[in-house]
Amino acid sequence: MGLLDRFGAGAFRRRSDGTFDVLLSEDERRVIGELTGQLRELLATDSPALARLFPPPYGDDEERNQGYAALAGAELFEGRLQRLEAVAEQLDAATLDEAQLSDWMRSINDVRLVLGTLLDIDDDHRPPPADSDAAAMYAAYEYFGYLLERIVRALSG
Amino acid sequence: MIGATMSSTAPLEVLEPDTGLDEGLERPWVVLVWDDPINLMSYVTLVLQKLFGYSKDKAHHLMLKVHTEGKAVVSSGTRSEAERDVFRLHEHGLWATMEQD
Repeated sequence: MGLLDRFGAGAFRRRSDGTFDVLLSEDERRVIGELTGQLRELLATDSPALARLFPPPYGDDEERNQGYAALAGAELFEGRLQRLEAVAEQLDAATLDEAQLSDWMRSINDVRLVLGTLLDIDDDHRPPPADSDAAAMYAAYEYFGYLLERIVRALSG
Repeated sequence: MIGATMSSTAPLEVLEPDTGLDEGLERPWVVLVWDDPINLMSYVTLVLQKLFGYSKDKAHHLMLKVHTEGKAVVSSGTRSEAERDVFRLHEHGLWATMEQD
């Protein structure tokens, strides 16, 4: 079963008034809601899967990295949470404005970063065996990549 | 904010206390974006356009440099300016660091 058969082939289309049509099936909205909801829960933990969302900016200068984390960490965290909550509230929306679609884009990218971290994605990765535990996660990773590409295209157009 | 344009003077409240002394005398800091196997090339290009006001061509060129050389300098400035740019890139999930030139 192909990826798009599984989740649908949703799209985002810019309208003449500058807002965007959200052309997603119910299944797609459900998957987006589930995974963004799971990321909200994960953000409340200190899971190492979140590392990619909060990179240390100063290389191996631990003192400065800690200073940055102390100043910026909470704001990065709160911003992510607010955007994920916005997606949850707008899950059934038929249209989104540009700022809202940008929130969706960043939330979907955040989910992808965490899924990719959990899947140990590298430059030469191959899909896991279809009967493995990782297969469903990989399908979601690929689907979120597809969604992200569609949103980037809509926002760039 | 994805809608932000190149706002080199916009204050970022949380980082302001760190602006430090003698900034004018400092060697400049550069902001680096690193290659990672997860972020999509089209997404990185769009983020660089939106955050720094770069043209699509320039953003695309920088993205390719990240992809082929492993990293690229995307902006430079004082330490507080660089830290603010790093923060905005982190808000968008890009793997950004900063170092003194």
